[in-house]
Amino acid sequence: MSHAQGRRRLLHALAAPCIASLAGCTSLTPPMTAALQAQAPAGLPSRVELAGVPFFADDSTLCGPATLASVLQAAGFAATPAELAPQVYLPAREGSLQPEMLAAAARHGALATRMAPELLALLRELAAGTPVLVLVNLALPFWPRWHYAVLVGYDLGRGELRLHSGMDGHASWPMATFEHTWARSGHWAMAVTPPSRLPATAELPASREAVLALQRVQGTAASLPAWRAAAARWPQDLVLGMGLGNSLYARGDKAEAASQFEALAARLDSAATWNNLAHVRWELGQPEAARQAAQQAWRRAEQAEPAWAEAVGETLRQVNP
Amino acid sequence: MSSSRRATRWLCLLLASSLSFAGLMQSAQAALIGTETVAAVQAAEQAGGNQADGRTFLTQALQREDVVAALQQRGLSADEAKARVAALSDEQAQWLAAQVDQAPAGAGDILGALVFIFVLLLITDVLGLTKVFPFTRSVR
Repeated sequence: MSHAQGRRRLLHALAAPCIASLAGCTSLTPPMTAALQAQAPAGLPSRVELAGVPFFADDSTLCGPATLASVLQAAGFAATPAELAPQVYLPAREGSLQPEMLAAAARHGALATRMAPELLALLRELAAGTPVLVLVNLALPFWPRWHYAVLVGYDLGRGELRLHSGMDGHASWPMATFEHTWARSGHWAMAVTPPSRLPATAELPASREAVLALQRVQGTAASLPAWRAAAARWPQDLVLGMGLGNSLYARGDKAEAASQFEALAARLDSAATWNNLAHVRWELGQPEAARQAAQQAWRRAEQAEPAWAEAVGETLRQVNP
Repeated sequence: MSSSRRATRWLCLLLASSLSFAGLMQSAQAALIGTETVAAVQAAEQAGGNQADGRTFLTQALQREDVVAALQQRGLSADEAKARVAALSDEQAQWLAAQVDQAPAGAGDILGALVFIFVLLLITDVLGLTKVFPFTRSVR
């Protein structure tokens, strides 16, 4: 046995138990990664790589604008890091805050949706073809290094995530490491899509907020494609149904707005919906139908929805001259 | 002195809130109920509180001005600060007003560490708990 071989064996003998004890220490594997390893989720491809996502290298504090430009361009919006910097970067903080990342995407006409705080949701979104912008704390809670990155793929077999991060356009991180750093941001992630397409894994409250945010900056009429997409996915939701009707009305499609309010009122029997239906029918020159809707609105407001009593009262006065 | 000033401020707030409430009611006249109003009322009902009234709208308006001022103090031009706050929801503006100096600001991975932190983070990097150094590989 050679000298070198002996030394190597000694090293292995010392290191092996050390590493084994680390690997065996289950607390090092965070819960969501552990769940994915324990059972491969049904219907999830084992490997995904989104090739067409633009990468903007950043070695300073501008990872907010760089990552936002990346996901905006992937969704088909023209936006550069230089253009986004004044919209999200906060000089005194030398960084970008999360609400402004969402708001800046809406200012460019995109639908920016908060993702569910689940690793599996991120993977499903990637599998559906949408890159995901994540906030991580690269270091530890008492000495944070906040950082935005863009997830562009994963490999379940290797237990890795592919991402754009800082200067590295082809970064591969162990899933466990990603989850540790992501958990320190409270599992913050967002997806950017064209308004006519919701993220595959979007949840109802986040979608409501995303479409309302788009409407706030782009206007009621311009946000119609987003209301259509959201109301089609959740036909039983009052806010989305009202949003679709109001957006149609703002565009001047009064007849279509009336049939939207009609269908929604039939499903949900809501005072606000009956109220708006009464208004639109009145403007369409259908006074008798308008009065009927206003009476339904009043019945609901009296019975169960006192919040609308005042507005419905005004409507009743208008349609009963 | 300070207590009388506080009393005046409260009086102004009360007066302005009743005025703004009246204004809201007038604007609700002869118009469709807006989607943001539906969302706000639904959120308030689900939270179990009273419906959003004029006073909450007023405090939110005041807070927006505070947020604009706060962003200006932190290096933005007046125009950009206004445009950025206008793009936020009431809830986001409130959050920003409270968190502007504490919230995580995604910044990038530059480093200027003390030796202790350097060594600590080197170890946690190798364990896969953190991802500070580009040259480390997690043991697993």
